Parts: sequence; C-alpha cells; structure tokens
Amino acid sequence: MKEIEISLTVNNKPYKLSVPANITLLDVLREKLKLTGTKEGCGKGECGACTVMFNGRSANSCLILAPQADGAEVITIEGLGNLENMHPIQEAFVEEGAIQCGFCTPGMEMSSFYLLTKNPNPTEEEIREGISGNLCRCTGYMKIIKAIEKASQKLNEKH
Amino acid sequence: MGEYKYIGKSVPRVDAAEKATGHIKYMSDLSFPNMLWGKIVRSKYPHAKILKIDTSKAEALPGVVAVVTWKDVPGLNGFGIVVPDQPVLCEDKVRYIGDAVAAVAAETKEIAEKAANLVEVEYEPLPLVDDPIKAISEDAPKVHEGGNVHLHTKIVRGDVEKAFEEADLIVEHTYYTGRQEHAFLETESGVAKLEEDGTLSVYAGSQYPQRDQMQLSRCLALNPRKIHVVSYPVGGAFGGKDELTIQPILGLLALKTKRPVKIVLSREESIISYWKRHPMIMKYKTGVKKDGTLVANKVEIYADTGAYASLGGPVLNLAVEHACGPYKLDNVYIDGYCVYTNNGVAGAFRGFGVPQVTFAMETQMDIIAEKLGIDPIELRKKNALRRGDVSPIGNKLTTSVGTVAVLEGVKETDLWKNKDKIEKVDKERPWIKRGFGFALTYQGTGLGIGLPDYGGAVLRFREDGGFIVGVGIVDYGQGTGTSYAQIVAEAMKCPVNKVSVILGDTDLTADSGPTSASRGVYTGGRAAIIASKRMMKILKEKAAELLSVSPEDLEAEGGYFYVKNQPDVSISYDKIAMEFLKTSGHLPQTEGYFLMPIADIKIKDAFGLPHHIFAYSGHLALVEVNTLTGQTKVLEGAEVVDGGIVVNRQGFEAQVEGGYVMGMGYGLMEDVKIEKGIFKTVNFSTYIIPTVKDAPKRIQTVPVHDPEETGPYQAKGIAETVMVATAPAITNAIHSATGIRIFKIPATSELIYNLLKE
Repeated sequence: MKEIEISLTVNNKPYKLSVPANITLLDVLREKLKLTGTKEGCGKGECGACTVMFNGRSANSCLILAPQADGAEVITIEGLGNLENMHPIQEAFVEEGAIQCGFCTPGMEMSSFYLLTKNPNPTEEEIREGISGNLCRCTGYMKIIKAIEKASQKLNEKH
Repeated sequence: MGEYKYIGKSVPRVDAAEKATGHIKYMSDLSFPNMLWGKIVRSKYPHAKILKIDTSKAEALPGVVAVVTWKDVPGLNGFGIVVPDQPVLCEDKVRYIGDAVAAVAAETKEIAEKAANLVEVEYEPLPLVDDPIKAISEDAPKVHEGGNVHLHTKIVRGDVEKAFEEADLIVEHTYYTGRQEHAFLETESGVAKLEEDGTLSVYAGSQYPQRDQMQLSRCLALNPRKIHVVSYPVGGAFGGKDELTIQPILGLLALKTKRPVKIVLSREESIISYWKRHPMIMKYKTGVKKDGTLVANKVEIYADTGAYASLGGPVLNLAVEHACGPYKLDNVYIDGYCVYTNNGVAGAFRGFGVPQVTFAMETQMDIIAEKLGIDPIELRKKNALRRGDVSPIGNKLTTSVGTVAVLEGVKETDLWKNKDKIEKVDKERPWIKRGFGFALTYQGTGLGIGLPDYGGAVLRFREDGGFIVGVGIVDYGQGTGTSYAQIVAEAMKCPVNKVSVILGDTDLTADSGPTSASRGVYTGGRAAIIASKRMMKILKEKAAELLSVSPEDLEAEGGYFYVKNQPDVSISYDKIAMEFLKTSGHLPQTEGYFLMPIADIKIKDAFGLPHHIFAYSGHLALVEVNTLTGQTKVLEGAEVVDGGIVVNRQGFEAQVEGGYVMGMGYGLMEDVKIEKGIFKTVNFSTYIIPTVKDAPKRIQTVPVHDPEETGPYQAKGIAETVMVATAPAITNAIHSATGIRIFKIPATSELIYNLLKE
C-alpha cells in the first residue's frame, strides 16, 4: 500500500508520520505511536473501545482513516492522565469500582470526558446517552454511571 | 463480620489505576522487535472432506515467512480439555465453518491476510448435521466417526411414573434457549515468541495457564518446562477462554519462523471460531401436590455442543445436576444428551449449563405457583433444600445451603415490598403493561467429584515488609486478584496495599486449577491462607528472636509484631525483612496447597457429579412490555445472593450488577443465529448485547449467607450464580405483565409480539 505523509497532534505532541493510506487512526495510535491504551474491540464502530477525542469531539478511531487525521488534534487515554497524575474521571472510575476487565475503560472514560466537557452537570439520562456507544460486558454499567456522576462533582469542585 | 479488618470491606481493584490510565498491557497490546503477524485460514464449509491443501501461492507471496498446515503439527494434532478431538489444523475433514485449516505468518497484517486468501483448499461438502435431536438417530450423518452423541447422562431416583399418578397437578412444557456469545471486549489475541534458551513464551489471555501449557506441550511435542504461558491480563473471558483458542497455532508459527508472531482475531472471526453457550432443548414434566409439594420431575435435555467436545460433557452434567433447581425431589428422571452438530462450537460459559435448566425449572415453578394460587416465595420455601437434605440427584447436602436465607432476603428487597403497588397498566400509555417476576437458583462451586480440584498459592516476603501472592487463577474482571490481596492482608495482618498479586503465569504462580466454576476465591483463597499461616510462623519466630521474647508472646497487627501487654515493644515487618536479608541474604517464601472437599457419594455414570458446595441466589425483575411492539424493558432488578461471606463489597456489587445485565441479555436479546451451518450474526450490529440504555435503572444487590466454614473466611463464590436466574425472573415478569408464557429465550420483541397476536 502506498504510504502518505500526515501531520497530527496527539496528546499535545506534534507528529509527522509516513503511513499506509489504508490504515486507520486506531492503527496509527496503537502500531505507530505505541499508544496502546486505545483498544480495538470490533473494528467497525460498534463497541466504542477505540474512542478518542478527535478535533474536540469524541470519535471511534477505528472509523477514521489515517489520511483523514492529517492536521487533526487527538487526545487519547494517555493524554487524559497517567498513573502519577490521574484525571478526575480516571480517579472516579477507580474509586467507584467502575472497572472490571478494563478493556472498555479507556473508551468509556474518553466518552465521559467528551460528555462532561460539553455538559458539566449531566442528568442520569444524559450520562446514559453519552456512553450509549460504548459496550461493557462486565459491569452492567451501574458503577460506570456512578463514576461519571462522581467525576462531574470532582470537576465542578476543581473549577 | 466485625472481627475482620479487611474482609468484607470495599476495596478498589488492585489493577484499577493501571486499567483506568490505559497503562496496563493486555496481550493484544504486546509487540516485540522483528514481530510477524499471523492469520488463520478457516473452513469455507460447515461439514466437508478436505481433498487438497495447496499453500504454494501463499508461500510465494513476498513478505510471507511461513505457512503451516496439519503437516507442521509436531505432536498430537488435537486439543480439548476433556477429549482432545479438535484438530489444531484440520487434515482430512472440517466440522464447522470456523475450523482452522492453515495459518500464515507474514511481515505485515495486510500481507498475512492476503496470503491466507491464497491458500487453496479443495473441499467435498458432506451432509449437514444441524438439528441436535435428529443428530441422535442412527441414520444421521456423522460429525465424528464414533457417532453424534458425545455424552449421555441419565439419573433416575425413585419412581416418577408412580409419583405422577399421585400428583394433583402436572405441568409439562418444552423449553428452548439461545446460543449466547461471551462477547468479551478483547477478542482472542496474543503473541508467541521463541526465547534464546529455546523456551516458547505464549502470551495469550486465558483462564488456566498451567493447563494451556500442558495442552500446548502435547500439540507441539515440547517439554512443558520449555513453555512459558502468561495469561493475565485479559479483556474479559466468562468461560470463553477456558479452552485453548489461538495458542497452538501461535506456537506453531513461532516455532517455524523463529520470530515473535502475533494474532489478533477480528470480532467476526472471534464469533465464528470459538465457544458459545450451549443451546438446549428441554422437555419438562413436573408433578406437584395441591399444597405445593413437588413430587416428581421428568426432564429430557438435548445440548447442542457443535463440532467438538471441549467442555460440552461437563456442561451437560451440570445441567443434569441442577435440572430440578434447589428443591427437594425424591422422584426424578433426568435424561441428558450432549450432541455433536456442525453448528459452530459450544463450550464453557458463565453458569455452565445451569442458566438453561434454571430458565426451564423456574418457569415451571412460576406456572405451578400461579395454578395452585400459592405465593411464589412460599412455594419455593416449601420445597427448598436445606442443610442435611438429600439433593434431587441423591447426595446429602452437608455444606452451607442458602435457600432460606435468600428467600427471606428477597422479601426485604424494595422490589418485593413494592410489587403490589406496581401500576400494571400505564395510565397515559395503556399499551404499556408492567409486571414483576422472581426466580431462584443455585450453582456448584468447584469442579465436582472425581476431577482434580485443588488450590495453590505461593507467598513471597517483600523487602519492604509487604508480600507478593502468586496464584495461577486469572482475574479477567471478576476481582479475584483483589480478593487475594484482602485475604493475605487479613491473614498476614498488614494493610491491603502492602500485598501485590501475580496471576496467570506458569513461571511465577502456583497451579490453582482452572479459573472457572466460581472457584477462584475459594481455591486460591484457601491456598493463600495456608501459605500465610506458614509465613506468619516464620516471621513470628524471627520477630521473637529479634525482640528476645517467645513467639507466643507476640501479636501481629498493621504490619508490626507487638509484645502482648507491652504495646511499646514492637518490630515492623520491613525491619524483619531487613534482618532476613542481612543474616541469610534472602527472604522467606511459602506455599499453600489444598484439595477441594468433596461430597459423600459419587453419582453413578455422571462424571463430576455431585458438587459439594453451592452458591444460591434469588433474582427479581420489574419489567414493562410494549404490547404494540413486543419490546420488553427491564425497569429495575434486584438480586439476593448467598456466595458465603463477601470478601470485597464493591467487587460483589460489580459482579452482581454485571451478571444481572448479562442474564438480561440472555433472556431478551442474545442468540447467535446459525443457518445451515453458516453464522448470521457475526458482529455487534447483528449480535446485540445490552448497552447502558438497555440496562435497568437500578439493580439492588443484597448479600446474605449461611456460613460456609470450609471457605476462606467463610467465602464460597458468586461469579456464575449472579447471572443464572435473571432470564427466568424477567420472563416470569413478562408473564405477570401480559399473561403470555415464554418457553423460548431470548424473548425478543418479535417473539413476544407474535405471542401477543395469538
């Protein structure tokens, strides 16, 4: 496959990459940049495990081709926070027990991040809408909803 | 429970922060220098003879490093936990559409895929076997030479025919259950790598690394000591990663190429190729007295195990064992068949045969309660097994039996208390009908009699005075690892954050048997306590020596030893660690092993039966049914669970909530459709699992317990029972809402719509 040059910013770091034209943003993140926190659960935009922030909105990175990401601003789970400095959403997921196998967690947290960015005080209904594109097979979602409610409080207290 | 410091508390998962930050590396995240990508060539027919396999075009493609077929399997070309009847790579016949025929390793994923398409296989289609009942007949085409009945288990006690004559009411129905997909979010993925010393490292998420090692050694003709299996962390398993999946093919490719090889299955390939919950057809005839006393139960079970055995036999036997529910019954006739077909492959899945029979039996019980006008709780209480009773299959229950505790607990749930206040028909939308439903179940903990069932743990003292516990059990989301940390903290009298946990690694952990059968906490926990007691003795002796007192004078707490009555004379664990290092140069390590207790008798001709320890649970559902569309929404759920003493309250809630929603999916939406051997629902837009919008508004979780003295701090296990009776609670609620009876799950909108039309 023909390689093309793309420039993009991931977690505030600029990258210039030469990538095959047919690979996805998810592949770029995981294979080229080794940012493996973003997961692939279906490769078809059905499960939400690959959710990242893409130009200020949440998106399934498996549905974006690398050339479409040229010039884009991307934030992944690694950009949200890390072990030493967790984001309040990550803290809330840990504290509320919203994590089991953990494979849906990064995508779930990125959808939560987008939700809380545009709506700092979501109702339970709005939380459910906000993460309705993210499948979780372990938790039954109850603790994820609680974690997002808690994250919303944490973020509001911070501001 | 007041005497425990760490048991019963809510403790965040030990791996939560690593998972929350995306820092943890699953097997699908691994990459190594010089790594190749593997791709498996799978059968194009559900049942066919292989006439010829031609790999030359694939081999000629630039970038292809190796192509393997059955000729490359150095050992036994077969795997399977009970009977190794599944070829690693098929030689002369394929038995389902996902059967593996060849595999390639190439420089890139894209080349590997291209090469897989270039492997030419000539097939001669064979007649299809797709109906498990027809498959039993002598003249049916055969999936395996030995015939299509993989296992027939029959248990007869008392005289059902005589008892039916004495019954006042006989309820007779046939039940059907769907083929549920595990739908773990991480597909079967991993890397195999040949190390410089000739060891083959296999990194692939699974449920029992030591058994993977044994099976791989058999297929690859390698000394098991030369195989290192790492199977944690895993992005979900639920039974679907108990059997081998891609590991032997990964091993073959790594051995042939001498380079690391990675395979990540696509969702479609995952759904087509590996294990499902057995669809079952179950004929029930239940006799009961006017006062609600059950007198006889006649049950026929047909389980569709698909093309290969895997755990199909044990799944059938658990269905047989649990077919009558946790009720006293002295006249039973249970006749079960586990049958080979060309319908994919079925194997282990949370509940392991019990969700199917529980759906049937608990619907029978609901019908009986309704027909006799008896309260559903009272009917169950009247018949419930209690400690000391003989089970329907004939063993005496000498361990904890939580039926009464669960039924009493159910009465205290909000759903039960408010069930008579339900607005049965919505005032604004009269086509919306509401109803309440209940179901009771139980689930054996452990593998059952006659099977090697043991726990093992290795405990190492850390330099900083903490501990590392290594157990072969795998935490694929259940929270077992955190429970081990709490158990060791309790036993070693130190904070939970001073205990680190290693799981699922053949080099670093003790063999603790498979992560299945709700046995993780019980087996690994018991072993960890034994190892801790030994460690405590060693540390105490050292502390006594250092403080110049006798060990009996010492008490441990919070990572310190204190002299009794002299609390200011103490020594910390980290100081003791330092002393060990100074004097001997190494830190103590202990191990703990134990054998699972077993029942009083062995059930004839039913291997693995009976189980000895059981968890019990009551499931409740409030549903609303749209009678115009047939759509059911579960508004609220509740579960009362006796899994023994709860080790981690937060983990308990998480398991119950997750189990409930998975059980809801089983009851209402999930069924992998296979038509003429071909899969029709191979992704998440056709195989629908519950989203957050389907999940109930609330799931109340209530722990109760009948103490189980043999358990680690009286714990048993909850992982399976929490999903088992959710489906019948919901279908019973659908009946209460609409008056229609559901004999087939999933109870999809179409099914309910059509039943309402009739």
